Amino acid sequence: MNGKNSSTMTRRQLLRMIGVTAGSAMMYQAMSSLGFAAESRFKKPIGLQGAPKGASVLVLGAGIAGMVAAYELRAAGYKVQVLEYNARAGGRNWSIHSGDVYTELGGFTQHCQFDPGLYINPGPWRIPYHHQGILHYCTRLGVPLESFVQVNNNAYVHSSTAFGGKPQRYRHVRADYAGHVAELLAKATQNHKLDERVTKEDQEKLLMSLRMTGALDKHYAYVGGRDSSERRGYDIDPGGGLDQKAVPSKPIAFGDLLDSGLWSMISAGDDYDMQTTLFQPVGGMGQIGKAFARELGSLIRYHAKVIDIHQDESGVTVTYEDTLKPGSKFSARADWCVNTIPLSVLSQIPMNVGAAMADAIAAVPYAAAVKVGLQFKRRFWEQDEQIYGGITYTDLPITNISYPSTGYFNPGKGVLLGAYIWGMNATEFTAMSPQERVKAAVGYGSQIHPQYATEFDNGVAVAWHRSPFTLGCFGLWSEALRQKHYDDLCQIDGRIVLAGEHASYIPAWQEGAVTSSLNAIGRLHQKALATGAHA
Amino acid sequence: MIRTRTPLHACVLVCALLLGAGLPGTARADSAGIYNPATLKAANGEQVYTHICQGCHMPDGKGAEGAGRYPAFVGNPKLASASYMAVTVLYGRHDMPSFMTNLREDEEAKFMRSAELSDAQIAEVINFIRTHFGNHYPDSLSAADVAALHPKAH
Repeated sequence: MNGKNSSTMTRRQLLRMIGVTAGSAMMYQAMSSLGFAAESRFKKPIGLQGAPKGASVLVLGAGIAGMVAAYELRAAGYKVQVLEYNARAGGRNWSIHSGDVYTELGGFTQHCQFDPGLYINPGPWRIPYHHQGILHYCTRLGVPLESFVQVNNNAYVHSSTAFGGKPQRYRHVRADYAGHVAELLAKATQNHKLDERVTKEDQEKLLMSLRMTGALDKHYAYVGGRDSSERRGYDIDPGGGLDQKAVPSKPIAFGDLLDSGLWSMISAGDDYDMQTTLFQPVGGMGQIGKAFARELGSLIRYHAKVIDIHQDESGVTVTYEDTLKPGSKFSARADWCVNTIPLSVLSQIPMNVGAAMADAIAAVPYAAAVKVGLQFKRRFWEQDEQIYGGITYTDLPITNISYPSTGYFNPGKGVLLGAYIWGMNATEFTAMSPQERVKAAVGYGSQIHPQYATEFDNGVAVAWHRSPFTLGCFGLWSEALRQKHYDDLCQIDGRIVLAGEHASYIPAWQEGAVTSSLNAIGRLHQKALATGAHA
Repeated sequence: MIRTRTPLHACVLVCALLLGAGLPGTARADSAGIYNPATLKAANGEQVYTHICQGCHMPDGKGAEGAGRYPAFVGNPKLASASYMAVTVLYGRHDMPSFMTNLREDEEAKFMRSAELSDAQIAEVINFIRTHFGNHYPDSLSAADVAALHPKAH
């Protein structure tokens, strides 16, 4: 690479290059690492207290943002009611289990036929250790957590055009990339190419570090042998007694590796959002929503479809339909309103706020995303391929295959995430029926795991633009849109404040919903205190 | 129509699976499989509809309603204005993203944002919608009409 070009490459050019080379999952990871998706600001429990006497709050939406608001405002002494469109709490925090029935927009109904205990998370599925906000509520509500495996060195990276379409072990590609680059740099050092930039003394240290980080041999070469096999594994592993001696493996040639483009799939776990340790609730992400629902109990009114939001000098009146009684009209009123309805839906609901907030609500498109859960008759990825949790990345439209981070060695059936799709391919998968999505995921996945053909049992597919309660996956802010509308979206308008991942700098993550909610209710509480007692 | 980056056998397999789905009223009208940005350029109006639009507006063009709704193309008076439809596809509306090619916006957002259609494709899919789903509008839209609605045209 031309040094001058590389130094002047803009962030945008880099993203474009990554986007062209790899799948959209890579792009998202790149975005995360470049600060487009920022880290959480959660520091400590909010501990609001001292609500004005008799003050009330109406919360719209029993997703994570809404339930955090309800939980904390009730604790502060407010009278709280929550209106929820679905028959369950959680919103996008959701797991589909055996026996669940899901009808998406268009009337396509799926009956989940997974074995008992098996599930798929159609929405969020992993929690980075630094998402301390959502983790705080897991602890507080007694939701048991277990490790989510992000990086599995024995999973695959796969390109349909490289190595004859044969998936490569992540461990091989990662070790070989690091090894070859280290060797290259070691040669440059030894050939005095770096003399102007690195002192003699530092060159010695650099060479030592390259040998260590790249698994080079004593001649600073990355070649088949013990050093490299300790990273990439052996062709025949060491054994005991009179077993055959270990046979080292042979690295992939550097040129082949670069041509394959597979290097674009090995850095996911290095990104801040994906670094060890990650967590998942035992029994599915939806356990968090269920725990909140248990805690809030009868505060939540289900089947409530908001059709009008009207504020006046003394409070907010929300008109809603009980979806079990089509055409019915009910109203709820409170002094204040925390509105967590996704912008995709809120933009269609009459609400008398100022032009600035209204424009912001109307401005944000929603991203497409699709997940497909596949049940197989046995956990062949463990039994045949020794893959326990983690993710295989591919340039096929399914983007990745993720193996369950729980239930290892279970002799029964197993469910894996057979597709997690963003961007254009997600739009296309959305346009299919659920059955077509499952069949396509099985078809593509069988290029990586031929066992699919005989072991596939049944599947479930969720396309977020067909979700009746969100009409999309998450608010797709661009930098330009944020500059123009974000502050207006988040400002309190009279007696209404918005919250949710769409009102955060951590889009699509539950932590965005938590931090957005805490920030919103903190400001609302201050305003309520300043306004004084019950109006 | 074969994906340029996928081995032939893969596409044949997937296409066979799609065709074999046999679900009345839900199957696609063609066997194009899954597009990539390059192969999408060859999609005609009907293919754009069945591969993209029907995700929200549904295979029967009746739209859908949940907590919010997707507009129907059946009996919708707004379809009288082909230009209104073109502006919607070019710039997006509410949660619907823009489908314009080379919309001037962040690369980050653009990559995540579904598909890019040419002016000709936008015109074709609008003409398709306005002559299907019970619609019989006699006038049609051209690629030049769509191009005239670009930001630079003003």
